[in-house]
Amino acid sequence: MEQNPLEERKGRIVTGVIGADVHVVGNRLLAAALERAGFKVINLGVLVSQEEFINAAIESSADAIFISSLYGHAELDCQGLREKCIEVGLEDILIYVGGNIALGKQPWPEVQQRFLDMGIDRVFPPRTPPRVGMDLLEKDLAERRRGGAE
Amino acid sequence: MASMIEAERFQAARKEVLSVWSTGRDVTESAFAYCEQRGDTGKFDLRLRAAKAAGKTLLQPRGGVPLVEQQIELLRHLETVGTADLLPLTVDSYTRQNRYEEAQRYLERSREANAALLNGFPVVNQGVANSRAVLEAVSAPVQIRHGSPDARLLAEISFAAGYTSFEGGGITYNLPYSARVSLERSIRDWQYVDRLSGYYTERGVTINRESYGALTGILVPPAIAVAISVFEALLAAEQGVKSMTVGYGQNGAIVQDVAAIQALEALTPLYLSRFGFVGVDVTTAFHEWMGPFPMTDGRAFGLIGLGALTAALAKATKVITKTPHEAYGVPTKEANAQGLLCSRLMADALAHQYPLDARAVAEERGWIVREASTMIEKALELGDGDLALSVVRAFEAGVMDLPFCPSVYAQNKVMPIRDRRGAVRYLDIGNLPFDRETVARNQQLVSERLDGLSGDPLELVEKDINFFLEADGIPVPEVR
Repeated sequence: MEQNPLEERKGRIVTGVIGADVHVVGNRLLAAALERAGFKVINLGVLVSQEEFINAAIESSADAIFISSLYGHAELDCQGLREKCIEVGLEDILIYVGGNIALGKQPWPEVQQRFLDMGIDRVFPPRTPPRVGMDLLEKDLAERRRGGAE
Repeated sequence: MASMIEAERFQAARKEVLSVWSTGRDVTESAFAYCEQRGDTGKFDLRLRAAKAAGKTLLQPRGGVPLVEQQIELLRHLETVGTADLLPLTVDSYTRQNRYEEAQRYLERSREANAALLNGFPVVNQGVANSRAVLEAVSAPVQIRHGSPDARLLAEISFAAGYTSFEGGGITYNLPYSARVSLERSIRDWQYVDRLSGYYTERGVTINRESYGALTGILVPPAIAVAISVFEALLAAEQGVKSMTVGYGQNGAIVQDVAAIQALEALTPLYLSRFGFVGVDVTTAFHEWMGPFPMTDGRAFGLIGLGALTAALAKATKVITKTPHEAYGVPTKEANAQGLLCSRLMADALAHQYPLDARAVAEERGWIVREASTMIEKALELGDGDLALSVVRAFEAGVMDLPFCPSVYAQNKVMPIRDRRGAVRYLDIGNLPFDRETVARNQQLVSERLDGLSGDPLELVEKDINFFLEADGIPVPEVR
């Protein structure tokens, strides 16, 4: 498969909306922003299972999985994802989760901590501009490439 | 796919549907006697008809939690504190996708923890008796609201429990809610729901059906919502439905939003009578803004008020209200009631006022009717007079389309954009079969907006989606 050198350098990202959620607008805007910034995007769209995220990440040798969720079930849908990634040899893959990821209005630090405890690398509150996620991604990827452990 | 499902085939299909989950065996004909014994209490269509006759706009919130006691507490709060006229039973997302095992697991965990782990009430898993317990605890009629491409079992349990209003349809609960379910399949499954509604109606329990006119919730051009709603009304009437609510979601330009409700009210009965469907009551639902919501209470209430005001000016039969927690997800019952109270003030204050430029509304309505009729006529031509086939082929050919649609069964070619007054126009008309004048008018309104713009017009569309958000951005919590 021929690779665009720029995309190759920037990184490959699998995006999608997890679980039984169909909120597609943020997913489309995020995928478009990532592409504009020069990333190779494998956008799985809506109603994506953990297995589909993992298979796509393996097939594309992705650097990161970007999971969107707007409907409140993200915590249920993300449980065990990190463990499954490790099982199939994706120990180092970055997993970012963002959106309305808690049921209702809950204190953000607590919500964030619950996802970090699940092995999610970065957790984003509602309405985070794509730029914020991309900046952190570039930083995280640069660190990985330097071989810097966390 | 044409015409009313034949009785024998329908009963055979019911047997199959009811065997999918254990609670299906509790569906019996007892609902007819049960509804009769309850009298007018809970009859959704009666409440709608009375409101329409009186020119009143009823308030209805959304709301669903997994457990019976929680749901009762929520609905009682919305009814007493929030002054809701009509109540919702919003169904969780696993049930919507027919994933009853997952719904069961998290229903059980919700019970163990006495918490809400699901984003709605799992009607199928709760079954007839538990769903009925909710209904009996409140006095306002309750509607089942969800987003399910295949709601056959959900409808069976709901109707058997005594619920007399059911939202959704083969188009409006497929295209915005699924990725890979064909319209052919969802329309067939919804013909079952409509037939079941007709079956109940013929036995004295009128089931109100509602088309989910808000669709993808952002920048849906009014004519698209109108054309789709008209088709769902026709498809429902074909199966014997006699009480139909057609809907539209607020875009934010008052003249256009009012005109859209008026266009629904003009076109739906026209097409129903053209196809010979008589005695169908048509009412309208106006959804307060379904797109990205402000995070600050002040702005959120402003937007909720704008929606309720528009609904009242349009004389929509009901308005579906939002809450100041919308930006954060599932609201508390208190926040939900506050959204209702804000809407209540607007609806009451505006009930007898007409402060709109009637000529501007009439002009806008004329264009919406023209665009919608063009789509409907072209679709009917493609379907050789068969309603279901018309819809399937129209979306295949792109002569009907839906922007920001997660489904592969719409072409997704149409791209909306706001004009300088905030009304929704077409940046890309896609394959919509509009006449030359319609295209020219759209072109002019769009180029006024794009005048002097350098760069990607899609960035303007993104701004249009986020139209009501805080101008300077809100402080984003720290990401670690």
